[in-house]
Amino acid sequence: MLVFAISDKGGTGRSVTSSNIVYRRALQGSDVCYLDFDFGSPTAGAIFSVSSAARGTIQGGMHGYFEGRIADPHRIDIWAETDREGLRAKPPGAGQMVLFPGDEGGGEFSTVSEEMLRRCVRLFTRLEEEFDLCLVDLSAGRSFAAQMALAATARLPGVPFRWLVFHRWTRQHIIAAHGLVRGRQGLLAAGVEHGHDEETLADHIRFVRTAVLEPDAAELEGLRETQKAWLNECDRELRELARRYGVGRTSMLGKIPLDPVLQWREQLISDEDVLSSQIANAETVAAFDDLAKKIVDDSAWEAL
Amino acid sequence: MLVMGEVRTGLLQNSGEIPESLCQGVLGLLSGERVRISRRPIVYAVSPDQLTGVDCRLASAARARVRGVGTVLSRASVTGGRVLQGSSHIQVARAEADHRLSWSHYLARPGVVEVFGKMRVPDLADGFADSGAWNDCLDLGSVSERFMDAVQASPLLDRKAPFRSARTRLRWVAVAEEPGREGPGIRFTLGRDRVRTLRLVLPDGFTPDVVDFCEDLALHDWLLTTLLVIVERARVGTATRAEVTAKLAPAVDHLLHLWMPAARLDDGFAPLWEALERRPGFSRQWQSLVARVRDQIAINTLALLREAGGW
Amino acid sequence: MTPAYATFGEVEAERRVASAPLSHVSIELGHLYMEDFQAGPERLREQFRHVAPWAETMRASWRARVPGGRARVSTCFLIDDYFSRFSTPSELVPMVLEAAAECDLTIDYLARESACAEADGVKLARLVEDRLVTDPPPGTDGSRPPVTETGWLCNGARSPYGGAVQVAMGSAQGWEPPAQNAKRRHSIFVDVELWDSDSRGRTWSCPFLAAVWQLLRLGMIRNDGELPVRPTPRGPSFPASWDELPAVVQLNPAAAPFSAYTTMSVLSPRFLPVELAVRTILSQVFVDAAVLRQVADRSGGEGIPLPDELVDRISYIFLGA
Ligand SMILES: Nc1ncnc2c1ncn2[C@@H]1O[C@H](COP(=O)(O)OP(=O)(O)OP(=O)(O)O)[C@@H](O)[C@H]1O
Ligand SMILES: [Mg+2]
Repeated sequence: MLVFAISDKGGTGRSVTSSNIVYRRALQGSDVCYLDFDFGSPTAGAIFSVSSAARGTIQGGMHGYFEGRIADPHRIDIWAETDREGLRAKPPGAGQMVLFPGDEGGGEFSTVSEEMLRRCVRLFTRLEEEFDLCLVDLSAGRSFAAQMALAATARLPGVPFRWLVFHRWTRQHIIAAHGLVRGRQGLLAAGVEHGHDEETLADHIRFVRTAVLEPDAAELEGLRETQKAWLNECDRELRELARRYGVGRTSMLGKIPLDPVLQWREQLISDEDVLSSQIANAETVAAFDDLAKKIVDDSAWEAL
Repeated sequence: MLVMGEVRTGLLQNSGEIPESLCQGVLGLLSGERVRISRRPIVYAVSPDQLTGVDCRLASAARARVRGVGTVLSRASVTGGRVLQGSSHIQVARAEADHRLSWSHYLARPGVVEVFGKMRVPDLADGFADSGAWNDCLDLGSVSERFMDAVQASPLLDRKAPFRSARTRLRWVAVAEEPGREGPGIRFTLGRDRVRTLRLVLPDGFTPDVVDFCEDLALHDWLLTTLLVIVERARVGTATRAEVTAKLAPAVDHLLHLWMPAARLDDGFAPLWEALERRPGFSRQWQSLVARVRDQIAINTLALLREAGGW
Repeated sequence: MTPAYATFGEVEAERRVASAPLSHVSIELGHLYMEDFQAGPERLREQFRHVAPWAETMRASWRARVPGGRARVSTCFLIDDYFSRFSTPSELVPMVLEAAAECDLTIDYLARESACAEADGVKLARLVEDRLVTDPPPGTDGSRPPVTETGWLCNGARSPYGGAVQVAMGSAQGWEPPAQNAKRRHSIFVDVELWDSDSRGRTWSCPFLAAVWQLLRLGMIRNDGELPVRPTPRGPSFPASWDELPAVVQLNPAAAPFSAYTTMSVLSPRFLPVELAVRTILSQVFVDAAVLRQVADRSGGEGIPLPDELVDRISYIFLGA
């Protein structure tokens, strides 16, 4: 299955959340891969702590592949190549976890040519043969990468795909996420242009809220009553706004709580981070785990 | 004599095995040419031969610049309606001219790549066998994969494969036995990233049967590799019985009956297979894995029945 | 015995390839387009007058080559009914035959150009297109799909064009010339349009159909191992519509076979570019190895070795007015 990760605004937590989903899914026993389609800023390697690809690879990555310079994009076995001791050994029963990085120095493309599109279709078909889940991290906003993803999936009727739209829990982000899906030249409009059926495509899109601070969270314990009341009111307003914009509970696949570790560093959260060193919150891992299951759980994707 | 090839093997992207009647549609990569099928002891269907033009460096162990021009001969095949292979090979010959000729010259010699200058067989054989990471050198594997892709893209396939699996790569080199060099034999090496290399020294020179042999070996190596992964993922002893059974079931449904080493081969290749059976001992490992899968399923079924109160 | 118990040999056994009867040479006496027809019968007579001595020379040279002088020579004539339709067979064919007879020429076979696209339900042009193996520019290592521009075929590497994939802030590329793959110092780069298409479908180009025509005359095309076109003996009269005219009509009952080891065409120099394109195409067509072997065995058995390359079996005479 292909899963496309997109957000309207930059810095929403799209890459960090997607990486953790991929990691959780691998632990759950699936073969997974992560494709860095954020062509303008290919830094996915950093989140997986693969230092040789922290700024993209020099061995011919996604850019080289799409430009036709190489036959197969470089692949990194994360279990083997991550610098993090604790991740280095694949636990028994866990699946493959592979990163397809961009090229170091690679930039955003100026167009999607027919050639590129054909390469994209070929790549998706091959990966679909090998991996249960291929997560494609697109860049923020409307991009050629997103256009290519829409066009390629329209040509691959047999390959299941899903879209995750990431946004933070603020007014601006809610409105932006709505616009990215339903606005002018949004995903739906562009999808229809490439031959998707609007309703079917819409059924394959869900929202993910990132870095959410619940009004009753432990972090907010020390607040005054007036502050709490104000926060509650804000949250209520946001929920109302989200509902009106079609970004509400029903179209939401999951939400990830604000986590102290992620606030400081983009990384995978291992069970060890929660259990032994206790730097990360158990709720965060539970949320990733839940999301990793829901992505492939058909009942979470029934038509709205 | 120097012949080299690469076979890629993977699972046909369909929920079940495809019936013989679908093979023509799926492997019919060339209009006006029929897919050939043999039925015993296992259904085997092969596409018409395809050619691809190349003009590039050949990998040389001594890192010499060796340029070759000619055509690669490829075909795709499906075994048991289930396993797909793309296979390409070339025969390397010395060019008579010192410059590139008109393309029709090369097309008249299908499957031959002519190299300019002196041709040092051991150097090219070694170079090809370990050219995995080399850029800009002849890449037979990619050619093979493109024909696999063409098959996998067939609208006749439902793309709902019962399990995920990676394609394996078998790169092979065959040279003729020569006085003063190593005698007839076979050397099979497992490498990283699912790459295997096979070196053959043939007493009787090259025949198309050599390609069949390499494809047969690649097929069985893929079966073994794939079954190993399935068994490893099943987490026997850790996961619940129902989980283990669910993970092992696809192997029983789709793989176990496909093991038939050397079934389609000429008798002349029996000694080569026997050598491989001694080391690395393909069938021995396969049989022990199969026994393990069967035992697990039997035990788990019994246990489940007992839990359900059936006993 | 049921085939279910056949042995391993069965795979090979299933591939049967029919063989074509073959002359030594197939001489094309002419090729009729609308404009020739419009110029009137005198133009046709003039053409035949020019061709006659060359056809005779060809015949004589084969007689000298073949033991006992028993050369098998057949002649053919192609009428365009593909790019434009004019007149009818019942009106046109007798006129052509009469003009030829006046110049002491016998037309053994008459063919319709549209038969090169599709004959008797077999899409010949498609068959040939599927068998194109593109001439690889240096650096083609098999790792990427062959570079093709849909509907075009060339003999080298095209100039890089502005539409190539570019990344933002990447370095720009300047103009580079195209190059012929088999160049000797300087290039003669040829890029041939094979077909174009519109709402009514695909239209094959004149050189592409001419390439199919050459392959037919050389007996090189098979469909499922069968000969796709067999000449049909002429009836008492010619039909009133082109579609009813068989793909290849045998006019002379005593004619040598239609297909031949070699071909010769007598053409006006205005066809030079077309034939350059035809050769560009033919040098990239992969013919069934079994068919090539059949022909080589037959000709070898007769003591007539043929060149390996198809393009070397084709010759022309370009005649100015
Ligand atoms: N649940 C979370 N709690 C706290 N911080 C988070 C959380 N998720 C992400 N972050 C932080 O937010 C920042 C942006 O995250 P990330 O890089 O994943 O965003 P992005 O959407 O991929 O950005 P870009 O558009 O630049 O690629 C990072 O510093 C990250 O660690
Ligand atoms: Mg990011």
